[in-house]
Amino acid sequence: MNYPVWEVPMGGGVLMALVSVLHVFVAHLAVGGGLWLVLAERAARRRGDAALLALVKSQSRAFLLLTLVFGAITGVGIWTTAALISPQALVALIRAYVWGWAMEWVFFIVEIAAALVYWYGWERLDERTHRTVGWIYFVAAYVSLVIINGIVTFMLTPGGWLENREFWTGFFNPTYWPSLALRSAAAAAQAGLFVLVTAAFLKRGDARAADAAAWATRRGALWVAAGVAAFAAALLWYRSALTGAIPDWADLAAGAIPVLPRVVTVMWAGAAATFLLALWPLAAPRRWHPAGAVLLTASALVLFFGGEWVREAARKPYTIHGYLYSTGLRVDQEPEIAAAGVTAFTRWRDPAAATPAERGRDLYRAWCLPCHTHDGYNAMRPFLAHRTEAEIADFLPRLQHMRARMPAWHGDAAETADLAAFLAADADRGLAVFPADPGAAGRLAWDAHCGTCHTLDDYRALRPSLAGSSREDLEAMLDALPDLAAEMPAYGGDPVERGHLLDFLTGAAGADPDRSAE
Amino acid sequence: MNPFVPSPDVLPIPAPAPLFEALLHLTFLVHLLFMNALLGGGVILLASLSTRGGDRELHETIVERISKLLPTLFAGTVTFGVAPLLFLQTLYGGFFYTSSILMGWPWFATVPLLIVGYYAAYLNAFRGRRLGGGRRWAAGVAVGCVALVGFAFSNNTTLMLTPEKWGRLYFASPGGLHLNLGEALLWPRFLHMALGAVAVAGLLLALLARRERADARLREALVRRGLDTFLAVTVVNVMVGFWYLLALREDVRRLFMGGSGHATGLLGLGVALSLVLLLLAWRVRTVPARSLKPLAWATLLTLAVMILMRDAARAGYLAGMANLQEIPVRTQALNLAIFAVLLLGGIATVVWMVRKLLAAPSR
Ligand code: HEC
Ligand code: HEC
Repeated sequence: MNYPVWEVPMGGGVLMALVSVLHVFVAHLAVGGGLWLVLAERAARRRGDAALLALVKSQSRAFLLLTLVFGAITGVGIWTTAALISPQALVALIRAYVWGWAMEWVFFIVEIAAALVYWYGWERLDERTHRTVGWIYFVAAYVSLVIINGIVTFMLTPGGWLENREFWTGFFNPTYWPSLALRSAAAAAQAGLFVLVTAAFLKRGDARAADAAAWATRRGALWVAAGVAAFAAALLWYRSALTGAIPDWADLAAGAIPVLPRVVTVMWAGAAATFLLALWPLAAPRRWHPAGAVLLTASALVLFFGGEWVREAARKPYTIHGYLYSTGLRVDQEPEIAAAGVTAFTRWRDPAAATPAERGRDLYRAWCLPCHTHDGYNAMRPFLAHRTEAEIADFLPRLQHMRARMPAWHGDAAETADLAAFLAADADRGLAVFPADPGAAGRLAWDAHCGTCHTLDDYRALRPSLAGSSREDLEAMLDALPDLAAEMPAYGGDPVERGHLLDFLTGAAGADPDRSAE
Repeated sequence: MNPFVPSPDVLPIPAPAPLFEALLHLTFLVHLLFMNALLGGGVILLASLSTRGGDRELHETIVERISKLLPTLFAGTVTFGVAPLLFLQTLYGGFFYTSSILMGWPWFATVPLLIVGYYAAYLNAFRGRRLGGGRRWAAGVAVGCVALVGFAFSNNTTLMLTPEKWGRLYFASPGGLHLNLGEALLWPRFLHMALGAVAVAGLLLALLARRERADARLREALVRRGLDTFLAVTVVNVMVGFWYLLALREDVRRLFMGGSGHATGLLGLGVALSLVLLLLAWRVRTVPARSLKPLAWATLLTLAVMILMRDAARAGYLAGMANLQEIPVRTQALNLAIFAVLLLGGIATVVWMVRKLLAAPSR
C-alpha cells in the first residue's frame, strides 16, 4: 500500500522462495561444514594421515568456493529480494532489529576473513594457528546463525514483542529455542551432506586416498543420519511451540491452508529419504557413488524446501505475525482503514485511471497482488472462472473467512464494485466449462463455491451437517446460506452449475466415501 | 507533496539518526576502498592483459598480483557493502525500496551478476595461467559484472532521489524493467565513481609495488605505471566532476554554489584536494623514491569528502521529503554497547588472523 507492488509473472513469492531455499541450504552447510573441517583436520594430523589431510584440504577449497561466493551472495540476495517483495516488512524488521543485523554483520566479516585465512593458510600457517582460525570460523558462523534465528523466528512468532516492542523479547520469542535446535541439526546434516558429495566426486587415487575417502564418507553419513534424526525430534518440539504461539495452528494444519498438509507430507518424505539414503554410505562407505550423492542432495533440498514453505505458509496472512499483513497494512491500522476505505490507503493509484475496472486494477495490485499472480503461482484468474461480477462483489467482504489465510478486504461498496469489475473482466472464463465426467464436474462446482471455505471432513467440515439430507433439503439449503451463517455469501450459480453442485452434495450427504477425497 | 513518497514508518530507530549517518559514511568509506581496488584493479588487469609488447615483465607481474587479489577484494567489497546498505535502509528505506521496485529486474540481477563475477574472479585466480587466451575472458567477465552491478547501483541511488518520476514509470510498466537512463545525473555520477576507482587502484598498485623488494627496476616500473594511471584518470575525472556538478538539479546545485555553507565548503575542499592530489602524484612520479604516504592520505581524505558531498546532494534532492531529525528515536543503549564491543573484538580478531597470515613465509 505504501510501496508499488512489483508484478512478477511467476509470483514474487516464488522468486523469494527460490532465493531463500538456495541460500538456507548453503548457509547451514557453511556453519556445519566449518566444524567438520577443523575436526577432520585435527584427526588427520593426529593420525599423521597425509592422504586424509589432502582430502580435507581439497574439501576446504570446495567449501570456500561454495560458501564464500554462493552462500554469501545469495544471503545478500535474500535482502535484495525481500526488499522488492515485502518492503514494508523489511522497513519494520530493520527498524526493530538494526542492531541485531549490525551484530550479525560483525560475525559475517569475521567468518569471511577466517574462511579466507584458513584457505590461504594451509601452506603458510603453523598447525595450531591454522586450526585456531578454523575454530574462529566455526564460532563466528554459528553465532551468525544464533542471531539470524532470533530475527527470523520473530517474524513468525513475535510473542511479547507485540505488547512491549522490546528487542530481546521478540528475539527470544516462543519458537526461538526449538528453531535453534532445528537449525543446528540441519547444519550438522548439511555438513555431512557436503562431506558425502565431495567424497563421492573427488578422484580416488591410490589405496591410502581410498582409505581416507572411506573414513570421511562413513563419518559424513553419520552426521547426515544423526542430523536428520535430531531434526525430526526438534521438529516435534517446534510444532508444539508453534501450536502454543499461533492459536489457530491446529486449524491450519487440519487443512485451512489447502496445500499445507501436502507440503508437510513432502517435508517428512524428504527427511525420511535423506535419512535412508545416508544409511548406504554408512554401511558401505567404499561403495558410495556420485549417483547417491545426487539423490541425497535432491532429497535434502526437498526437506529444506518443505521446511521453508511451511514456515512461510504458517505466517500468512502476515509478514510479521499479528503486526503486519503481507499487503503492508499494520494490524493496528485496521479500524482506520475500515472507516476511511481502502482508496485512502492505496498510495499507488494511477492518476489516469478512469473506469471502474482501471480503478479496480490499482486496488488489485495493492491488496491482492502481494500474494497472488495473474497466471503464475496462486493465480487469480482461474479462481474466478466460475464467478460472476456480482458473486465476486459478494465474496470480497468475506475473504477473511476463507480457508486460505487472507487479510480482510475493507473496501466500501464503490471500491468493492471497482475491484469486482476488474476481477470479473480479468477472469479466465475459458476454465468455466464443466468436464463431461459428472464426478469431476461435481467436484469442480464444490471447489469453486464451497471448498473455498469448507472441507468435507476436516476444517469447517460439512459432511456432518449434510448427512441424511435429501436433494430437496439441499436445494433449500443452497437458497438460504446467508441465514445459516452470516459469513456465507448467497449461492448464485447458474442452473448447470447448481445441478453439478447438488450432485456432489447429495453424494456427500449419502456419506459416499468415494467422494470424500478432501 | 508527491503522493508516491511513502509515509514514514511508525517504529522508532534504535539510536539517534546522526549515529547511523556516521556508521553509514564510515562503512561506506571502507566499502569504497575495496570496491575501488576491485573495479579499478580489474580495469588495470584487463589493460595489462590486452597489452601486446611493451614491458612484458611489468605486465605479467601486474596480471599475477592483481589476479591473486581479486577474489579477496570481492569478498571485502561485498562484506563492507552490506553494512552501508543496512544503514542506508535504516534512514532512507522508503525511497530506496521504491526505486528498487521500479527497477526490480535489473536490481535483482545484481545477485546473479555478483555470483558470476565472483566465480570468474576465482577462475582467473586459481586457473588463470592454464586458461591461456581464455584468461582475458575470465577477467573480463569478472570486471564486467562488477561494473554492471555498479551501474545498477548508480541507477538506483539516483532514481531514489527523484520521486517525481516514480508514478509515470510504474504505471507505464509495473513489471520492474526500468532503469534511470533518462536521468542527467546518471552518467556523470557513474563515470565519476568508476574513474575514481581506477585512479585509486593505480595508487594502490604503486603502494603494493613497494612490497616488491627483490627487483628495483620492476618496483619502479610498477610505481610509475600506477601513478601514470592515477594522474591520467584523475585529470579526466576532475572534468567529470564538473559535469556532475552541472548535472545536479538547479536548486541542489545552488546549495553547492554558496546556497549552503556546508555543501559549498565541501565542494571547495574537494576541488582543492584534487589539485593537491595531482601535485603530490606528480612529485612521486618524477622521483619514484619519494614516499607515497602523503598522496595516500590525501586520497583517503578526498574519498571521505566525496562521500559527504554525495550525502549533501542526497539531502538536497530529498529536502522536505526525508527529514532525518523527524524519525522517532528509542535508543537501545545495551544493544549499541554490545555492537560496539563486538565490532572492536571482530576487528581485533580479523587483524590478528591477517597479520599471522602475512607474517608467515609463503612456502
Ligand atoms: C496474505 C496473502 C493473500 C492476500 C493479500 C490475498 N490472498 Fe487470496 N489467497 C491467498 C492464498 C494463500 C490462497 C489459497 C490458494 C490455494 O488454494 O492454495 C488464496 C486464495 C484466494 C481465492 C481462491 C479461494 C479458493 O480456494 O478458490 C480467491 C478468490 C482469492 N484468494 C481472492 C483474493 C482477492 C480478491 C484478494 C485481494 C483483495 C486476495 N485474495 C488477497 C492469499 C492471499
Ligand atoms: C466465505 C466462506 C464460505 C463459503 C464460500 C461457504 N461457506 Fe458455508 N459456512 C461458512 C462459515 C464461516 C460457516 C459457519 C460455521 C462454522 O464456522 O463452521 C458456514 C456454515 C455452513 C453450514 C452450516 C454448517 C453447520 O454445521 O452449522 C452449511 C450447511 C454450509 N455452510 C454450507 C455451505 C455450502 C453448501 C457452501 C457452498 C455453496 C458454502 N457453505 C460456502 C463459510 C462459508
